[in-house]
Amino acid sequence: MSVDNTNQEVNEELEMQAKQIAGLLDAHANRLSMRTLKQLENGRARAIKAHGQQLTDTSVNADGTLSRMTSWVGHHRLAATGLVLATLVSSFVVLKSLNNNDSSDAFLLSAELPPEAFVDKGFEPSLNVPDSHLQQKT
Amino acid sequence: MASSQELSDFLRDVERRAFKQTVYAVRDEHVALDIVQDAMLKLAEKYADKPAAEYPMLFQRILQNTMKDFWRRQKVRNLWTTLLSSFGAGQDGEEDHDPLDTIDVEDESSNPAVQLERSQTMKIIEKALEKLPARQREAFILRYWEDMDVAETAEMMGCSQGSVKTHCSRALHTMAALLEKQGLGSKVIATLVIES
Repeated sequence: MSVDNTNQEVNEELEMQAKQIAGLLDAHANRLSMRTLKQLENGRARAIKAHGQQLTDTSVNADGTLSRMTSWVGHHRLAATGLVLATLVSSFVVLKSLNNNDSSDAFLLSAELPPEAFVDKGFEPSLNVPDSHLQQKT
Repeated sequence: MASSQELSDFLRDVERRAFKQTVYAVRDEHVALDIVQDAMLKLAEKYADKPAAEYPMLFQRILQNTMKDFWRRQKVRNLWTTLLSSFGAGQDGEEDHDPLDTIDVEDESSNPAVQLERSQTMKIIEKALEKLPARQREAFILRYWEDMDVAETAEMMGCSQGSVKTHCSRALHTMAALLEKQGLGSKVIATLVIES
């Protein structure tokens, strides 16, 4: 118990010392050479200019949506690539299903029954008969 | 979204500290300046839409990542430098000295003896900080200098809170031992804090 207390006291003392050192470092950080300060100021000026540019770009659009989208793409390149791939895959699937529609049109036109028969509920029982049953009948 | 004025105020507030922290990590003032300027630009360009309240964490993260990028590049460069060192011998120490580099500003103490003593003490503290392993130094700076709590430091360093506590504890013990060896015990440091 007393060992734990001693350790805690030592740690608290060390933490206090660390904060004092941080204070000294902070005070020392304010004493930089003129050249360094000038260069930091230049860097800050460039950053603020870039920031202003970003704000102007956003306000060019009516609601800023396009700019935000461009910025989003810039930040999330992997996600943007994924989105493009997903779009490609989904468009491929849609195209494929359109092709299937073409083949169903061909089936309707080549069937012995008139196309209206496929929407007439009276024909449903005969249309739902599996192929194997039809083959057996023939 | 933060205004340009808010960004300017924030950068003015952190730039000196960020510069010194980077110097302790990379041990080269020119490189440190490049890193800090790069971090400022990245913050302005990539996070213009973020509120000013998020800037401290974002900036620290950008700064740490820019330092890591530098070390990665440095590793590759060192490999080439080692290979080609025989061609570039005799180039060291030929840089022109600029008096502007040594003129300090905002040193309110006019007594040269006090200035000298303070400067020597700070050199000892800075050397001790530089001697710490990179992760311990990072934890020490974020936790005590940037005044982040354990959870924030852990998030910034990408490790668990337990690891942060371990890094901090080791850093504190090493720093205390190094400073004690140089005659800078806790009492001396406390006196310096009062004087400054």
